[in-house]
Amino acid sequence: MNRLTSALALSLLAIVGIGTTYLVQRSNAPQIAAEQRLIDSHKLLDVLAINSYDNQPLEQPLALANIALPHSTLTGGYRATQAGRPVAVLLRSQSQGYAGTIELLIAIDAQGKLLGVKSLKQNETPALGGHLGDWPNAWLGTFTGKSSDGPTDTGWALKKDQGQFDQIAGATITSRAAINAIHDALRYFDAHRTALLGSEP
Amino acid sequence: MKRMAKLSNSLMLVILLGTTSSLAGALGAALMFITVAGAYGFCMAPLRWRTSGARTLLASLLLAATLTSCAEIFAQRWFLPWHQAFGLYAGLIGLQCVVLEHHGFFRQTLTERLRLSAGFGVLMLILAGLRELAGRGTLGHGLFEHWQGLVLFSAGLHLATVVPGALISLGLLLAARQAWTGSNSIFKETHRP
Repeated sequence: MNRLTSALALSLLAIVGIGTTYLVQRSNAPQIAAEQRLIDSHKLLDVLAINSYDNQPLEQPLALANIALPHSTLTGGYRATQAGRPVAVLLRSQSQGYAGTIELLIAIDAQGKLLGVKSLKQNETPALGGHLGDWPNAWLGTFTGKSSDGPTDTGWALKKDQGQFDQIAGATITSRAAINAIHDALRYFDAHRTALLGSEP
Repeated sequence: MKRMAKLSNSLMLVILLGTTSSLAGALGAALMFITVAGAYGFCMAPLRWRTSGARTLLASLLLAATLTSCAEIFAQRWFLPWHQAFGLYAGLIGLQCVVLEHHGFFRQTLTERLRLSAGFGVLMLILAGLRELAGRGTLGHGLFEHWQGLVLFSAGLHLATVVPGALISLGLLLAARQAWTGSNSIFKETHRP
């Protein structure tokens, strides 16, 4: 009898425990998902200054055409606007690095100048090419303000390749992949400016 | 406390070393630990004298699992950044409750329990403060959303932020404590191990 009651008590405890956890999970799931989205969007959008846009760029992905570029592939695009005017276009670009694919988020303003670049995913060698994943990133910062025609096509390369950019120390392939992906994205922006910005600014 | 108890209490080390890479992380873990252990002690009291032996263990397992899961869900809801960084260690809190139950921690008097918990919490915070200071040169980074913490110097010793560095820091702390209680002279923590 005693065994039975304690077995009953234990199964009751199990049921109550599982039930409570289930209810708590169910009632909190939407808020957790919302928090997750907020963190994701902060992570993506910190290439833009917080006050420079007032929409939710991630809620309105752009439909991109001809996404296969010479050195990279575009996997997505977003438009940031302020008071209805487009201020920036964010392009997600994927290219082949030294040890896997590199995903960059490239922010370009309405005039075709680079606002910032952030690496979203990379598997480059830690302490060498892996520095690409640091944020804030001084090396990626050197590209800010550049556009597809300034520097010229030959200038858009590492100094080693007669271009004008320094490389990440000890990571030529990673640096080359990043430069080419950024240049690709800028050229893509120039070619599809009207479609990306929605209307003429 | 028995020798065996000491061995399995070293499971605490995982939580201690894992969550103390920043003051915010340690504070979150300590708060969660106190909440879960407190709720566990409260709920387990009526169950303890109704069950015995293996059944007590099973009951404590069920209760600890429930409380830890619920605490984890709430942590995700309100402290998601913390949970993403340290959620891995949150599950261990439940296991720790079962271990503590097994070793009779919850049968001690309330003051004794409070003394031990406070000691552990203070150790966590001191270790976290030291590691954050040595590793990143900040204090309290990430405690509040838009506060960068108290920046004392810009670059730190990377070793201090990783787990092996935590073990070394803990060793230094223990050595400092021994020296303190031994000769009662002030020993400064060295930043280079």
